[in-house]
Amino acid sequence: MRLLVKERKERETASETVEDLVVRPSVAVEVEYPAIESRDLSVAYGRKPAIREISLRIPRNQTTAIIGPSGCGKSTYLRAINRMNDTIPTARTTGQLFVDGEDVYGPDVDPVLLRRKVGLIFQKPNPFPKTVYKNIAFGVNIHFRTTPEEMDTIVESALRQANLWDEVKDRLQESALGLSGGQQQRLCIARALAIQPEALLMDEPCSALDPVATARIEDLMFELKKEMAIVIVTHNMQQAARVADYTAFMYLGRLVEFNRTRELFERPQADLTENYITGRFG
Amino acid sequence: MPEKAVRKALAQGMQELNENMVTLAELSELAIRKAVDSLSRSDADVAREVFTLDQELYALQEEIESNCVNLIALHAPVARDLRAITTSLKITTDLDRIGRYAKDIAEIALQFHGQIPPGLKDIVKIPRMADLTIDMVDRATQAFVNRDAESVRNIMEVDDAVDNLHDEVFQEVVEHMRDGNLPIEAGARYILVNRHLERIADHAVNIGERVVYMVTGDRLPRVRAADRAKAKKRSP
Repeated sequence: MRLLVKERKERETASETVEDLVVRPSVAVEVEYPAIESRDLSVAYGRKPAIREISLRIPRNQTTAIIGPSGCGKSTYLRAINRMNDTIPTARTTGQLFVDGEDVYGPDVDPVLLRRKVGLIFQKPNPFPKTVYKNIAFGVNIHFRTTPEEMDTIVESALRQANLWDEVKDRLQESALGLSGGQQQRLCIARALAIQPEALLMDEPCSALDPVATARIEDLMFELKKEMAIVIVTHNMQQAARVADYTAFMYLGRLVEFNRTRELFERPQADLTENYITGRFG
Repeated sequence: MPEKAVRKALAQGMQELNENMVTLAELSELAIRKAVDSLSRSDADVAREVFTLDQELYALQEEIESNCVNLIALHAPVARDLRAITTSLKITTDLDRIGRYAKDIAEIALQFHGQIPPGLKDIVKIPRMADLTIDMVDRATQAFVNRDAESVRNIMEVDDAVDNLHDEVFQEVVEHMRDGNLPIEAGARYILVNRHLERIADHAVNIGERVVYMVTGDRLPRVRAADRAKAKKRSP
């Protein structure tokens, strides 16, 4: 596999103050050919800044976790990637964001097409109040023209990819709302996979699930990253450590540190990161 | 359970671990000091104290190991907490081994049956070897207690001096035995003591290297003493 990430020879010095962090977040790895890249990305809700000047390169075929205390801007950053903040009237975005090299906030970008390329999974499973089958077929119908046979194949393939097929193959025409919480979340993932995204964003995808359902989603992420970049926002640092290859720590709307997960949890570069992950604040 | 309460439990566990580790370090250093003392004065009572210390060291090591596993299992520690726990797990073995070598030296002391070991002070350099080794153990354990990486970053260089002295002591003992100035039995025991002290110094190096990792996260490249000696000979 092509080496996408290489060590930076000199690590940037960890900063002490939040103001310093704006200028010098600790980024100890260099990502070549990122799947997603933000350059000085800022989002404000009205006059209130939510994220400030975040420059981050998210690698392909890897899972990247974004961690940080509540209100640090994790979800705002995630939603900025597929322009979900556009739906909030007061939201104002500046800076640049690229998905697969394409400027997401460029003048000719269709947000609907963008969201096909970048799927978003929410904290609470949100299947459509339709059958299991139609949940998958809905997005496919919008983006592709298919025969009924082709649609059957796509539905089965997406459900298999989401490790859900065996559990629902006899219930395809039943309401998706009758599935368990974990099954609903995997159905949402299957729905996203059916339209062949290049990246999958997950916003606290397991916070409403029990440990078994959580493990299924984590196993699924492990498989899916072979085919796409995954970005997960999580409050659960043990989950970040388990599933992510890279981790970004945000604080007060700023990126503090980005590093390999193993490094970040073993020897964080910034004192703020150290204090947060060891539970000394937050 | 609220997040803060969980962290408080971890903080308390870490504090207990550190206190136990400091005790373990002090006990192992005391064991080696007493072992050398029991040998130089052929004091059976002091030698027996070393046996007791060795048992205490073993029991405390087991307790620390159990505490470390509990901390990992219950609190999923990371960063400096994780490094302190894994370092403690490794260092307990070194401190326990130091205690075992101290016990071995104390056993040798008992074999002199209350007679002052012949030639120990005047003929061979074992007391010097013991001083250097004890200094190394003290330096390594103090570095652990004070979280001071810099004082032990180059501890392997001191170990090189101990290794050289070990070779000299060996030669000296052999020469004295050959010349008839030292009974063979006593000389053989000195060679064993010499070897035990040299191994204790090796464990002090291990502790020093682990302390550097614990404090800074840096893993020092591990180079065998023999390879360091070879490299020194090659360099002009």
